[in-house]
Amino acid sequence: MIANDLSPSEHLRAQVMHLLSGVSEHGDQHLAEVERDLVQMDVLLDEAIKKLCASFIAIHRAVDLQQEALNGLLVDGMATPEYVARFEALRGEINQNVGAAVTGLQFQDMTSQLIGRMVQHLAGLRDVFGALDTNGTVLAESNNEALLAMLSLISDRVGVCCTEGGGGVRSTVNQRHMDSGDIELF
Amino acid sequence: MKTILAVDDSGSLRQMLSFSLKAAGYGVIEAVDGQDGLNKAKQQQVDMVLTDQNMPGMDGLSLIKALRAMKNYQNVPILMLTTESGDDMKAMGRAAGANGWLVKPFDPARLTEVVKKLIG
Repeated sequence: MIANDLSPSEHLRAQVMHLLSGVSEHGDQHLAEVERDLVQMDVLLDEAIKKLCASFIAIHRAVDLQQEALNGLLVDGMATPEYVARFEALRGEINQNVGAAVTGLQFQDMTSQLIGRMVQHLAGLRDVFGALDTNGTVLAESNNEALLAMLSLISDRVGVCCTEGGGGVRSTVNQRHMDSGDIELF
Repeated sequence: MKTILAVDDSGSLRQMLSFSLKAAGYGVIEAVDGQDGLNKAKQQQVDMVLTDQNMPGMDGLSLIKALRAMKNYQNVPILMLTTESGDDMKAMGRAAGANGWLVKPFDPARLTEVVKKLIG
């Protein structure tokens, strides 16, 4: 709360300082929450993919064993040609779906990379909000030169943060769909 | 049995690679990053290397260069398997000594077709 006996320029200085500190503090708090959620998301995705892969491999093994048993029956001549054809068609369908599942189960590799990149960007943004903090500086009341000097210093700090943060986080995942990628032999 | 070294920091990706290649009749050795891959390649001669690019520590390009510096890996097929698809990265891969570039996610049938073409 600003006292009523402040001059307009003192009021301005106080408001600017208050704004910068507020943006810095609240901005950092929100980003910390986002970062926490992203890290948790990554953990859950990691756990989910481990379970999915384990289940997929177990199901595939069971289907393989079932197929072996069926092949035994086919060899013994216990199935009609119609059933033989049906089993073959089913085997083809299973193989196709197994391939599609293997392609789909690679999603976590890409999402993990994207999350990692997001966390890096968040760290950079938190640095920017940190740079906005006035750190409790008390400005001289006589003129606005101190305020301008401080704003210039903060601007420089933000610039350094942007330069340091922007260069290191390269986009490495551009896939928009879980379709198998190109193959090129040199 | 031909043996393939699969290098990737993603456990699920290594698992799917291993599943696909073993189903096609190949032996698979897994490595969790470039340095681990290099160590395992030195311990046992493999017939092919499949490597990711973006890994902690030693990345894929560095691994390829290190392998190509070894006499017994100068002619072993090395494929990059990565999310990256830019021409500049592919050029770097080729210059480092990679024989091919596969963009993730891979299709197991197409992958084994390429592997069979290269090592039989």
